[in-house]
Amino acid sequence: MIKAPSTSLLRAFSPLWRAESVPWVARGCIAQQVHFSTAEQRMARKKGMGPKTDMRITLIRYHLQHPLTPRPLRFSRTRALRHWTIHRAWRLYQNKLRLTRQLELERQYNSMNAACEALRLMDGDGLTQEERSKLGAEIEGSNDMGRLYRIAMKKDDGVRADAVGKGVPIEYARIQTETPPRDGWNSAWTR
Amino acid sequence: MALDRSAGRLARCIKCTRHDRILPIRTFTTSAASRLEVQETQTSSDAPPPPATADAPKPKLRDPNTVSTRAAEQQLIQHQRITPVGSRRRRAAIASTSNIPFSELPYQCFQEARALLQADRKEKLEVIRAQRERIERLKAKDVAPQDEAHKEKRLVDMRRKLEEQKILADINDPVVKRKFEDGEGDLTKPIYRLLADRQWRSYRRTLLLQRITQMNVVPDVLPAIDSVISTTLSFAGKRVQHGDFVDSLMSEQAPIMQIQPYDKGKRLYTVVVVNPDVPNVEKDAFDYRCHFLASNIEISPIDTRVHLGRLSEESQVILPWLPAYGQKGAPYQRMSIFVLEQPKSDDPSSGSSHQTLDVAAVKETGRYTQRHGFNLRSFVDKHLLKPVGVDLFRTQWDEGTAAVMQRAGIIGWDVEFKRKRVEPLPYRRMDSVRYR
Repeated sequence: MIKAPSTSLLRAFSPLWRAESVPWVARGCIAQQVHFSTAEQRMARKKGMGPKTDMRITLIRYHLQHPLTPRPLRFSRTRALRHWTIHRAWRLYQNKLRLTRQLELERQYNSMNAACEALRLMDGDGLTQEERSKLGAEIEGSNDMGRLYRIAMKKDDGVRADAVGKGVPIEYARIQTETPPRDGWNSAWTR
Repeated sequence: MALDRSAGRLARCIKCTRHDRILPIRTFTTSAASRLEVQETQTSSDAPPPPATADAPKPKLRDPNTVSTRAAEQQLIQHQRITPVGSRRRRAAIASTSNIPFSELPYQCFQEARALLQADRKEKLEVIRAQRERIERLKAKDVAPQDEAHKEKRLVDMRRKLEEQKILADINDPVVKRKFEDGEGDLTKPIYRLLADRQWRSYRRTLLLQRITQMNVVPDVLPAIDSVISTTLSFAGKRVQHGDFVDSLMSEQAPIMQIQPYDKGKRLYTVVVVNPDVPNVEKDAFDYRCHFLASNIEISPIDTRVHLGRLSEESQVILPWLPAYGQKGAPYQRMSIFVLEQPKSDDPSSGSSHQTLDVAAVKETGRYTQRHGFNLRSFVDKHLLKPVGVDLFRTQWDEGTAAVMQRAGIIGWDVEFKRKRVEPLPYRRMDSVRYR
């Protein structure tokens, strides 16, 4: 026994099967739409027969498919001037916002840059060469000049905010808390 | 304000109660109620007997700005002999709205935008004030002689920045924009000059440069020109577009030029009219001829009109106006008009900011008083002039040219140029194998 093919597509698209669920005003629209086959429907039909199309739907469709949609608006003189004023004000406001954001980012970058530079010139005791000579401490002992700077510049290890290279995303880090402990509960603990 | 009763096609909602309804609405039905209403008003108006007047009832005086019905327009034209102003839609809008000035229109977004722009303008005014103070302080500062040039350069840059700030303060103002579009802009103010310059550059300057380049005025007469001045030319009261053909009778008299600069201050210009198409039969090429040369013409952004025939003979005109003519048979002659800016004066204490060209000395020297073979490049280089504006018109032989030439005493009015016939090369047929 051959199984009947599924009628779900037919049910979805055929007008004969769906006409009941559609309001009467849209009947013409549905009738104007898809047939079961995508081939051109070349049925010979008598003039005046065929599905009753609703003129309103036709007009709405034509207007939506119009190549100039949305149609250009025509403003009166004062309307146009008001529009221009609002446009200028909005652009000015957006530019001010953009500028403040840009300056803030620049400020943050420069601060980071200055911090890295300070680290680069600092040795293990927290002094630069200048400060060392000013204080009179021995200069040759500072062999780890800029160690923290080099650690900060490494991009391929440890937890990082931006996770470049082999770094681990910061979301994987565990925030320091008092409880629960990392090692968990040791049941075999004895005094 | 009540609308006229038979507003007809004007958009009006019958149910709308915003306007005072003094007159009864003419409803669709003629039911008993409405008929009674109409009858009542009629009887009420009939009740007091109309005063017996000997003269005809005076017609209502109508405002040409607010008539919007056809009947009212007709009455305005017939009784008051004035035509309505503007479109009917505009007149109806004026009649139905109150006279609120533009900046107080009650639209929230618009007023918020205005508030923002006012705050921004205040900031800009603060910057302008601070910049002016800085300029004053720098001017008052004493510097060593070797740093004078540096100080001058700094002052120039600071003044340029001040001008930019002045423009930025006004550029967002819709009132300024409207005033400029209506042609009421005061060209002594930098913002209006900027808007005028922008408008000129957007179309008319492009057109001018296209015509100048197509007619090859620029490589022929001067090597290059950057046009920063707009010029308009008119002969015998009629405007001439760039590159137009001008009738010989019209160009017999000197034209009137409007020279519009877009930067501030008065300055002195030299105007030269050069014809680069004078036929030279011996050379089988063309020569230059100068039709007009005048210097020390004072122009400012608000004082732009100059009648080239009414300049001073002693202090301004070097070569008076020679009518433009194209001899018969010769091709059309391009008459190029160049506006050259005279150099700025070296000492700031003199009255004018630009040097006057010594016209008497030029006439005496005689090198540039010859019309035929006038070399504009040499003239410009010798007197350190800067080409800032250019215009063009063309002439050719027409019915009046002979008379014009005779009246101006130019020889050659009865000369006709003819093209030399070039004998064609002998044509020898090759062997017939080639022609298939």
